[in-house]
Amino acid sequence: MEYFLHILVITGIYIILTLSLNLVVGYTGLAVLGHAAFSCMGAYVSSLLALNYGISPWIGLFVGACVAALLGVVIGFPSLRLKGDYLALATFGAGVIVYSVAKNWVAVTRGPMGLPGIPGFSIFGVQLSGVWEYLILVAAFVFITYFVIRRIVKSPFGRILRGIREDEVAALAMGKNINKYKIIVFVVGAFFAGIAGSLYAHYITFIDPSSFTVMESITILLMVVFGGMGSLAGSFVGAAVLVIFPELLRFLGMPSSVAAPLRQMIYGLLLIVLMLKRPQGILGTYRWK
Amino acid sequence: MIEQVLANGLIVGTIYALTALGFTIIYRTVRFFHFAHGVVYACGAYFAYSVLRIAYSGGGPPLHEATADLRYATTWVVAIFAGVIGAGVLGVVIDRLVYKPLRKRKAPNLVFLLASFGVFIFIQNLLQLIFGAQILTIRAGPVKEGHHFLGAVITDVQILILVVSSLLSVALWVFMQKAKLGKAMRAVADDRLAASVVGINPERIILAAFAIGSALAGAAGILISLETNIEPTMGMNAILKGIIASIIGGIGSIPGAMFGGLFLGIAENLGIWKISAGWKDCIAFVILIAFLLLRPGGIMGIKTEKEQL
Repeated sequence: MEYFLHILVITGIYIILTLSLNLVVGYTGLAVLGHAAFSCMGAYVSSLLALNYGISPWIGLFVGACVAALLGVVIGFPSLRLKGDYLALATFGAGVIVYSVAKNWVAVTRGPMGLPGIPGFSIFGVQLSGVWEYLILVAAFVFITYFVIRRIVKSPFGRILRGIREDEVAALAMGKNINKYKIIVFVVGAFFAGIAGSLYAHYITFIDPSSFTVMESITILLMVVFGGMGSLAGSFVGAAVLVIFPELLRFLGMPSSVAAPLRQMIYGLLLIVLMLKRPQGILGTYRWK
Repeated sequence: MIEQVLANGLIVGTIYALTALGFTIIYRTVRFFHFAHGVVYACGAYFAYSVLRIAYSGGGPPLHEATADLRYATTWVVAIFAGVIGAGVLGVVIDRLVYKPLRKRKAPNLVFLLASFGVFIFIQNLLQLIFGAQILTIRAGPVKEGHHFLGAVITDVQILILVVSSLLSVALWVFMQKAKLGKAMRAVADDRLAASVVGINPERIILAAFAIGSALAGAAGILISLETNIEPTMGMNAILKGIIASIIGGIGSIPGAMFGGLFLGIAENLGIWKISAGWKDCIAFVILIAFLLLRPGGIMGIKTEKEQL
């Protein structure tokens, strides 16, 4: 039971990541491949604040998300001028750079040894310890993320985003400053990814760079594409299926040396089949152009 | 010290150049990022390893003894051919199974890229499942001390890498300029429609491009595994460096790919020397992003770049 709840918490964190990436990829049509960089930033900032300065994870979470958003500005401002494959490659590169900073800046991040003993959240002086409490916490954040992103995509602002996605030149001709919109969307996505990273760090109580590799970014993108590009419900489906389904492999009694690559193989195969058969995903409304 | 840094940069640069060349040959004809090229490279090394493993049940004979004993030599030749041809066949199979159906549907570039990621992840983890995640090696025997040459120390294997990859690069260049197939490949790269008007079948050219490009990747994979180790994740680094080298040189340009590879290898090694080895990938990507933003056409870019960016 404990294990099942743990999987649900992880699913919740991935739903936040998938929703925020869907805003960028699915609703605005930007091919972005470095989402794990932002969760990495959020996780490290909030953990280091808690470990080194004893700052409450609540504040750390917010600061972490803001720093992730700032990183979004730093990465987005130059790279969003690029399009298509090149944007994908530049953001992929940004992901590698952030990962290698986390891995090599040993004086601060302790590099591959990771940061152990990250304190958990507490409410009114009571430490959250059980997996149940975290499930409720993560669910609350999933709800907030869903609510905010829903508001964005249903608003006139969201219509402009879809306009950029469908026809950038037309949106430009309507007098919209598309670069501004792209950066805002990118930064909002980065902010929520930062929240997800921070939740992960304080829940697991240990982080190391290996949780934020480029493969992780590809997995999040796969969740968006699988669930459906430009579909909020799809993000829930995508994250849930791709987190829970591979866990079933464990119940088949496979050792982790077999289960881990097998899980990745399933992801890879799924990505190929999706691209061949249904590039917009299960509930998707948008195809790549 | 600077001589050694330049020598190391040059050696690793020729391997990057070889990977970038294979990638470029394919990119020119199909116009999307064949990311799975990296895993083809890894497979080249693993195919060669498998042959040596079967022949000698664990580790191959030392390469330098291969020249002394004919039996060793034949095994090595078989292993190298298995790696190169196996990689070529794998490239073609990937194209037929995954890219061809997408091509028929005129899928956009990003769909190709994601499908390519899928292929990459699938095969890389298949390698891990079969061979395990641990580091393997195809070089056996003691590491010999290198030769002193213009103030740098270079080992036999490094000389071999330098010579073979330079020869392959030059051979490819001549092939593209002089051979009928090479000319046809250039024609398709320039203008697919016009090429088909004069009777060149684009599908056949794509097949040839995948075969030749992937075989080059296999050769690069074997060469690098003579120098370092092989592991399932080796393809990621290779393809990233290959793509970066191609973009630095000017994507789609053959001399550009060679030049970009050497440039990247030397720049990386200068960075390692001045900063630290851990930042290697970081340096490569900073160079990439700088090029994408300031000079997206690369140093020797072909002209179609403007419209794509």
